[in-house]
Amino acid sequence: MQIVYTVFILLLVSFGAVVMSLEILSSNLMSPYFGGSIYIWGSIISSFMVHFSVGYVAGGYLSRRLPRISVLAACLVGCSLWVLMIPVIYQPVCEFLSENIGDVRLGSLAAMNVIFFVPVSIMAMVSPYIIGITTAWPRQSGFTAGMVLFISTVGSFAGTNVTAFYLISLFPVSRIITGLGIICLAVSLTVLALRIDRRI
Amino acid sequence: MKGCRPIGFILLVSLWLFPVQGAPAAGGDKTLYEGDSIYHHITIRQDGRERCMIFGRQRDLRQTCIDLEMPDASIFEYTSMMFAAFLFRPEAKTVCLIGLGGGYIPTVFRLHLPQVRLQTVEVDPLVEKLAKQYFGFSIPAGQSLAIDDGRQFLKKSRERYDQIWLDAFNSDYIPAHMTTKEFLTLARSRLTEGGIVVQNLFGGNRLYDAQIETFRSVFAKVYVFEGQRSGSCVIVGSDRPASDPAGLRKLAERMGGKIGRIDLFAEAVKCKVPPAVKKAPILTDDYNPANLLLMEKNKN
Repeated sequence: MQIVYTVFILLLVSFGAVVMSLEILSSNLMSPYFGGSIYIWGSIISSFMVHFSVGYVAGGYLSRRLPRISVLAACLVGCSLWVLMIPVIYQPVCEFLSENIGDVRLGSLAAMNVIFFVPVSIMAMVSPYIIGITTAWPRQSGFTAGMVLFISTVGSFAGTNVTAFYLISLFPVSRIITGLGIICLAVSLTVLALRIDRRI
Repeated sequence: MKGCRPIGFILLVSLWLFPVQGAPAAGGDKTLYEGDSIYHHITIRQDGRERCMIFGRQRDLRQTCIDLEMPDASIFEYTSMMFAAFLFRPEAKTVCLIGLGGGYIPTVFRLHLPQVRLQTVEVDPLVEKLAKQYFGFSIPAGQSLAIDDGRQFLKKSRERYDQIWLDAFNSDYIPAHMTTKEFLTLARSRLTEGGIVVQNLFGGNRLYDAQIETFRSVFAKVYVFEGQRSGSCVIVGSDRPASDPAGLRKLAERMGGKIGRIDLFAEAVKCKVPPAVKKAPILTDDYNPANLLLMEKNKN
């Protein structure tokens, strides 16, 4: 059972951290094409909120239909591959949208959704999925819904600050995103390999 | 003494509840306007004949100041240094200025360089309104103003300019997307043959070195004018190897030595070729810790 909790914590912390790291980095991706105004932050935050809400609903639904960690981990593998593609796709996407949409608010909103909708929605599935699985257990677990959200938020706190205060001054943005993609892929493949569902 | 404590506390709380905002301070210093735009907290203050537009909460951070009786007198050293651009392209017919502030630079163009077509670009609509209301800024025939992000404006523009002036930077915040190699390459592509890019920046921090390195990665020749009265510097990027500092003085002489109240001889001697820099990274859209570098002071 110990390993199951360890895996839950690993998933919550790492994806909680990566999602906020991406949010901070997205302003660096947007500003060359749409300017550095408060509009950009409006687009970034509102887009992420939409992706989170889609992910929450999808995570909750899937955790009832397919209550297996392996299903979540498989989704996360796809999400990691998308993250690894971001450094390649963001330039042509932003270039195209900034040339075709005159209004920077609409343009940045569109770019944020094209680039981040898939990976961020999948990352947002982690918490509700884990809550769904643990509440379906016949015995009561110490893993309350509140505890799940707490662990994931601690990860987000770390991801935000480490990125904004240190990573941006140390590495190019594209390298940081590739690094995040590799972390996501490693975590999700490890979870798949551990075959956690048999150990519950 | 114990009884004094609550009174002291109440005093402290009331100090916090009633900030000095708007109250006339000592020395005739008064606040004429205070408000927020989508970009800045803007304050307009007047002290004697000097009226300043301030961005941010730090009261000593003056963005633009004008002398009400002599609106073409340069209160900041860097604004007069920027006019040294005319030592590189004296015959310039078109200039693009990014960053309006209180409109001091357009005012000098209006009064003393009426033959030059000036295109000003300002991102903040409130700055335009306040510049008109409090700083006597107006747009004469031959000048125009666009409300847009500087980088977006240049990208969309099909115009070519003899000089592009970047004055969108202040000493505690700079728009990072206008410091990169990609941005300077875009600006360079909007220049006429032999045109120049001029930018103000502040010495004594790591961003200064990084900006010079970035200019050098784009332009064949880079000049720096170092302020004598302030930490301000002006950087000039050119593809045409222009004259040395001695040549600049001769040019200043040929131009009559003055643009309005700005003494070009005094500005020409501030030129350093090549500028001394410490090892620094080239800033790109991908690697751009500009605002973090700005906060890292050089240890001298």
